[in-house]
Amino acid sequence: MAVIPGPPNQHPLPGTPADPRDPLPGTPADPRTPTPTPLYKPPATETNPALEDPTPDYMNLLGMVFSMCGLMLKLKWCAWIAVYCSFISFANSRSSEDTKQMMSSFMLSISAVVMSYLQNPQPMSPPW
Amino acid sequence: MKNLYIFIVVLFIPWSFSLAKYDEFEDGDDIMEYDDNDFAEFEDVSEDAVTESPQRIITTEDDEEEATVELEGQDENQEDFDDADTQEGDTESEPYDDEEFEGYEEKPDASHSKNKDPITIVNVPAHLQNSWESYYMEILMVTGLLAYIMNYIIGKNKNNRLAHAWFNTHRELLESNFALVGDDGTNKEATSTGKLNQENEHIYNLWCSGRVCCEGMLIQLKFLKRQDLLNVLARMMRPASDQVQIKVTMNDEDMDTYVFAVGTRKALVRLQKEMQDLSEFCSDKPKSGAKYGLPDSLAILSEMGEVTEGMMDAKMIHFLTHYADKIDSVQFSDQFSGPKLMQEEGQLTKLPETKKTLLFTFNVPGSGNTSPKDMESLLPLMSMVIYSIDKAKKFRLNREGKQKADKNRARVEENFLKLTHVQRQEAAQSRREEKKRAEKERIMNEEDPEKQRRLEEAALRREQKKLEKKQMKMKQIKVKAM
Repeated sequence: MAVIPGPPNQHPLPGTPADPRDPLPGTPADPRTPTPTPLYKPPATETNPALEDPTPDYMNLLGMVFSMCGLMLKLKWCAWIAVYCSFISFANSRSSEDTKQMMSSFMLSISAVVMSYLQNPQPMSPPW
Repeated sequence: MKNLYIFIVVLFIPWSFSLAKYDEFEDGDDIMEYDDNDFAEFEDVSEDAVTESPQRIITTEDDEEEATVELEGQDENQEDFDDADTQEGDTESEPYDDEEFEGYEEKPDASHSKNKDPITIVNVPAHLQNSWESYYMEILMVTGLLAYIMNYIIGKNKNNRLAHAWFNTHRELLESNFALVGDDGTNKEATSTGKLNQENEHIYNLWCSGRVCCEGMLIQLKFLKRQDLLNVLARMMRPASDQVQIKVTMNDEDMDTYVFAVGTRKALVRLQKEMQDLSEFCSDKPKSGAKYGLPDSLAILSEMGEVTEGMMDAKMIHFLTHYADKIDSVQFSDQFSGPKLMQEEGQLTKLPETKKTLLFTFNVPGSGNTSPKDMESLLPLMSMVIYSIDKAKKFRLNREGKQKADKNRARVEENFLKLTHVQRQEAAQSRREEKKRAEKERIMNEEDPEKQRRLEEAALRREQKKLEKKQMKMKQIKVKAM
């Protein structure tokens, strides 16, 4: 483990008690230590998968289901809901998540909408 | 709904228009050429023959591509017109004879009766109407999507601004206390990035380390999901506020063994149910902190009274009373292992790992409508955190307290072992069987018959010894029982 050579701050007067470059770290003047600092560990989500927000995964799945329904059953409203689901999933996603997954669900929902309209150019009728 | 009405009105207008035209025809007041009917001039005009009305093409609009509307009984009107025309033409000079119109009058009767036949109007398919109004649902959907995208951009930027405002306010204090501020875990060496780590559009992390007493401090800025329109709408029903969660991991030698929590009553009740350590060590309900001068909104959960006495010193009370509205919960624990894990009985074989931790959860003032300025009001809370770190290091239980604490921990461990006794037995049994099987396999695989015999004998002897031991134990137990 590497030792950090010194505190990063600049202080004009070395040797004074208030100086962060005080050679005796741990004194009241400088609570910082030059001891090696542990590396960042990912937060609790790794140890507690139950705490993770499941929204983006659910929305992704829902979006795909709706877009398949829209494509197979030629239901326009299904395709539109799929587009909404994929947008919601994107908005809630974690930055570490795969963008490919997001893009694929998004493209699928857009294609569902486009195909529904190509096959049947009629405007969507309200369900009521 | 409004759009639906507009749509219905739009449909009504051409329909009523066409109806009105038929009225005109029936009255016969204005004998005008019906312009829309292109085939009028080709119509066979004969008073006697009531031919079947050929298909008429009536366009409701001038565009020739419009669909047809079929009408029955429309021809009679044309015939009437034509009859009138021809009659006019023939008898222009002569006055009208009543006789001449006798037969004619029957015609109107006949045509009337024919007009009583139902007129079926076929609905014009909407996509052929060539009006944007028929696509109102699609326009609605696209508008909704645009609204969602706008909200995403606005929400994301707001969260970003809030996070950076928080960081700018706290940067100095953090940098004076920690050698490493900001580490995203990508470098093998510990280098200070000096930046927040964005995990999400609404969660920002900051890892600080390099201080006496503590291993490190993880700060999580958990903002509301302003980038998600659904969440924004849900929050209109149920207000919530941004939270700042700080988790300080202490070094093993820098904290004594105790479990203590203070916070709002609601938060403590929830934590007591959820958190492993609080539920095991703090069995009482949250007590009011009025004894120490805390406001009524705050309550205390503690392992033993001595801990509370030690923790509630003047400065801490000062912090808690002044910033009570921003504090959600504060938890000091040497047995912290996170929330209770929902595991099946068979999987629990070991106590979860515990770490000495100080946990702080603060609510950002504003209850959702926060502005970057509100972040400044959280700075004193960070000072409280730093003070707590030092205090946790200094505070030591006296001998009695230590004994009690050790007893508690032993009790918890015992309970756990009892619970898992059955599982551990099964695990041990299966391990023994595995060993036996492995030995047998070894014996079988031995090519040398001599060695095989020797190994078998050794195994037999071992088993005999075990049996003897067991018998001895049983005898001893019997003797003791007697």
